[in-house]
Amino acid sequence: MPSRPKTLSNRRNAQRSTGPKSDLGKLASSRNSRKHGLNIQVDFESSDVYASLKLLLSEEGFSPFMAADIATSLLHYRRVMDAHYDTYISPEPVDELMIDMSVKDSMPIFREMLSEPDDVRDMAAFFANMQRKEQRNGGPVLRRTVDRHKLIRHQRHAISRRSEAIRHP
Amino acid sequence: MFTLKDSVKSIATLLPSPRLLPNESEAEFQSSLQGLLSELEKPSPLNVALVTQLNECLWWIERHTVDKELLLHESMAKILCRADTYRDVYDNHLVSAALEGFFAGNASKKEKQWVNDLLKEAKLTVSDLRVRGFKDAAKHIKMADDLIHRQYQTMRHLQKSIDAVDFKSRLIKRMDLELATLENNALAIDAKSS
Repeated sequence: MPSRPKTLSNRRNAQRSTGPKSDLGKLASSRNSRKHGLNIQVDFESSDVYASLKLLLSEEGFSPFMAADIATSLLHYRRVMDAHYDTYISPEPVDELMIDMSVKDSMPIFREMLSEPDDVRDMAAFFANMQRKEQRNGGPVLRRTVDRHKLIRHQRHAISRRSEAIRHP
Repeated sequence: MFTLKDSVKSIATLLPSPRLLPNESEAEFQSSLQGLLSELEKPSPLNVALVTQLNECLWWIERHTVDKELLLHESMAKILCRADTYRDVYDNHLVSAALEGFFAGNASKKEKQWVNDLLKEAKLTVSDLRVRGFKDAAKHIKMADDLIHRQYQTMRHLQKSIDAVDFKSRLIKRMDLELATLENNALAIDAKSS
């Protein structure tokens, strides 16, 4: 495990990064902000579950068109609720180091690492800012509530899609 | 014609069932689901899928309700921290958990003592802390309320969908009977004419 000054220095340097250079690095970083993946289109129709579900609904007396619509809407709803579950069970982790650190007490470490007083001030301001941000994000319950609140519109969409499919004239 | 057992079996093999939290009981979930399923007049795979979703909504409401209280505890822990009462043992999570036990009345003697010490240092009473905590967390408690409200809305939609499916199956049955009658009549006319 890196030492505390090393961790602080790594975090600061990472902020100066201009981003990934290689294609593989770019591909990896393109997934960085992905939280639930519900904005990505999914092709349910090519899955086996969809085909079986459609067949089962046809046997229930629905027309092939309605059966297809209902099968898609059921799978779509399941996907949204699974995203709810995943967000609930693993919210963005609390950065204990950041919350726990005292910027004032860390000044000697910054001075040890950097020679210019301006750089030391910059570093202190940077960490104070990060700490405020981390504190605003709150604990695990607050994080999961805020993140799941963003999923409401996806759930609403999934429900209206399912209702439309079932109550189709 | 689908029986309840067939419907449950056929839909369960296709649609993955709702996932439960590690501290939740699968048996309780199934028992609540069976209770809802037993009220279905005409069970079909689609009806079973919809009722399973309805049951899932009920469980989400339960989770959100617990979260509302936990949000309040987190907020109260933050207030105690701001009052500089536990800088040396800083851990919001621990204070939050201690408060949870304290308000539920099942805190250990040590936890009770700790919370009382923190309150004393912060010069706050339990009710003061709760009021201030609620004020700070109001915005996020409203978010939890929105999530609960969404589940209620979903349940309303589900009830309408279940009704629609039930009505549709009755309509199909009626049309089948009418068709059978028409066919019988047609056969009777054929028999008469010959």
